[in-house]
Amino acid sequence: MRSRPVRRKRMARIEGRLRLAALALLLGASAAALACGYCVEDKIASTYDHALVKRSIEAGHPVAYYHLEGPLAKGEATRRALIAAAESVNGIDRGSVRIALETLTMSFAFDPKRAALATVQNSLDAKLASRKLSLFPMRVIERPAELKEIVRR
Amino acid sequence: MNKNLKLTAAVLAVAGLMACNQTAAPPADPYDISKMDLKPAPAKVSAERHKGAFAEGAALSTDAVLKPLDASAVKTVRLDTTHKIIEIAPGVKFSAWTFGDTVPGPTVRARVGDKIKFSMTNRSDEPVPGVRVTAAPMMHSMDFHAAMVSPQDKYRSIAPGQTIEFEFTLNYPGIFMYHCGTPMILEHIASGMYGAVIVEPRNGYPTKADREYVVVQSEFYVKPDPGKQKVDGAPLYVLDSDRLKDARPTHTVFNGVHNGMVKNPLAAKPGERVRIHVLNVGPSRTSSFHIVGTIFDRVWFEGNPDNQMRGMQTVLLGSSNSATVEFMIPEEGSYIMVDHHFANASQGAIGLVSTATRAPAKDLEHHNIPATRTPTEPDAIAGKQAFESKCLACHSIGEGKKLGPDLAGVTKNRSKEWLARWLKEPEKMLQTDEHAKAMLKEYNNIPMPNQSLTDAEIRQFLKYFEWVDAQPAGTAKAHGAH
Repeated sequence: MRSRPVRRKRMARIEGRLRLAALALLLGASAAALACGYCVEDKIASTYDHALVKRSIEAGHPVAYYHLEGPLAKGEATRRALIAAAESVNGIDRGSVRIALETLTMSFAFDPKRAALATVQNSLDAKLASRKLSLFPMRVIERPAELKEIVRR
Repeated sequence: MNKNLKLTAAVLAVAGLMACNQTAAPPADPYDISKMDLKPAPAKVSAERHKGAFAEGAALSTDAVLKPLDASAVKTVRLDTTHKIIEIAPGVKFSAWTFGDTVPGPTVRARVGDKIKFSMTNRSDEPVPGVRVTAAPMMHSMDFHAAMVSPQDKYRSIAPGQTIEFEFTLNYPGIFMYHCGTPMILEHIASGMYGAVIVEPRNGYPTKADREYVVVQSEFYVKPDPGKQKVDGAPLYVLDSDRLKDARPTHTVFNGVHNGMVKNPLAAKPGERVRIHVLNVGPSRTSSFHIVGTIFDRVWFEGNPDNQMRGMQTVLLGSSNSATVEFMIPEEGSYIMVDHHFANASQGAIGLVSTATRAPAKDLEHHNIPATRTPTEPDAIAGKQAFESKCLACHSIGEGKKLGPDLAGVTKNRSKEWLARWLKEPEKMLQTDEHAKAMLKEYNNIPMPNQSLTDAEIRQFLKYFEWVDAQPAGTAKAHGAH
């Protein structure tokens, strides 16, 4: 028969493993929800503006697409506030922010010479945190007809 | 019992048991999941733009007449997406989005067990001749109802200039819809992005048909372009989002064209068995598909002979439902295909299977090619559409007498006031007006029915008749075969 401290340690180990498993399940479920509700490409389609993409890429400015996570009130005021927040970030092109509240998607063009995408993303994330929102990176278009996964550099 | 006898008895007993087992064994399940291909390879997306034809593949048919089944077990199908102007009714030039540059997209014909190797380039950004009046380039995708695949992998949206390739095996027989699945899906379907896949049973159909056709019913929701853009002098029509959300179509059509199969009937001969594969695309209305003058000998709901009904008058199809109907042509005549929801039929869901048909005109539809002679003024366009849906059964224009008179020249022979009164209340004029009485006698006492036309509709008819009479003699024509 094992002593109580040994049993307690064993229970704690099991509990830890269970918590990890639950977290993994939660993350898995979150990714699945993203894929099922709207495919990543479908979300991108909801803010895709061909004229903007063409113009930005010709100027050497990539266009980045993000899923917005968190409570988001539908309405013009929310849309305007998100655009204002994004346009105040160094590097994001004015007039390039597109929002689709229905699909919780935001996209913008940015000047990589002024700020790297990781920097732009961190700054925007910090601004959105006050609204309890965060950015989930999806794709970036750097060249015509190429949707690359966003990798934090 | 000696040893050999025992052995023989044992062998016979085993053989008997085996025979019994064989007799009792159930027939093989044609839908055995374990024999289906449910592991297609991942889709590939690239930036390689296809520059050839918008639709390619021996399994494709581009009009109502179905090509025979291509024997190869692997069918290569290309359906590129385009944005183009199509004419959905005389004078109604609509800014459409397409698969394979046609609306509906080409029909894919294959058989259970066949593999489809599909590729699609999003070419919605390609320039069209003349001033660009098509919709802005956008992302598109392909959703095959005939496939069993991961939508997140195979049906993902691709940007202009991208190409997606994927494969799938056809596991079930039927008539399946394909459509663009990119949000807002309703807008993509209502703009023209749909078509049919016909999957024959592995061993073919249980009956032999003399003629085989495909009919795709769909709705359009259009309004004149608020920017007042024009195509070849005619007003451009664009998607009416309000009507779309309220499911109030402006046109309900067979194979993409208002009354299209009245002008180009499907051919058949007396005594022939005709098979029509019908798909109701919707996107929001049901169809009560019916053919006047015959009875469906067989109806295979969803196009699968295992779902068979006999002796049907009408088949009810919800959005994305389908059926294969077979019927006999009893005698010479024009058998009228309608959506028996007559509100839909009056919007253009009407066509003919006729023993007196002419060879169909060659399809010249392409990017912004000028249409045949039609009015351009909105009232005259509306009048032409109303004439073709309500009057062609009894009248023609420039094609001679039918049950009623040929209406070419009518505005030269009668005053505008007389015509307006005649259209408004023909039954009263038949009692009081000498011309009306004479006409009734000349046309075998068949009275002109009161169609309960509004003043606005009468004005549209008159505008159309005036337009007809202003054209060079014999150039404006309208006829129907029934």
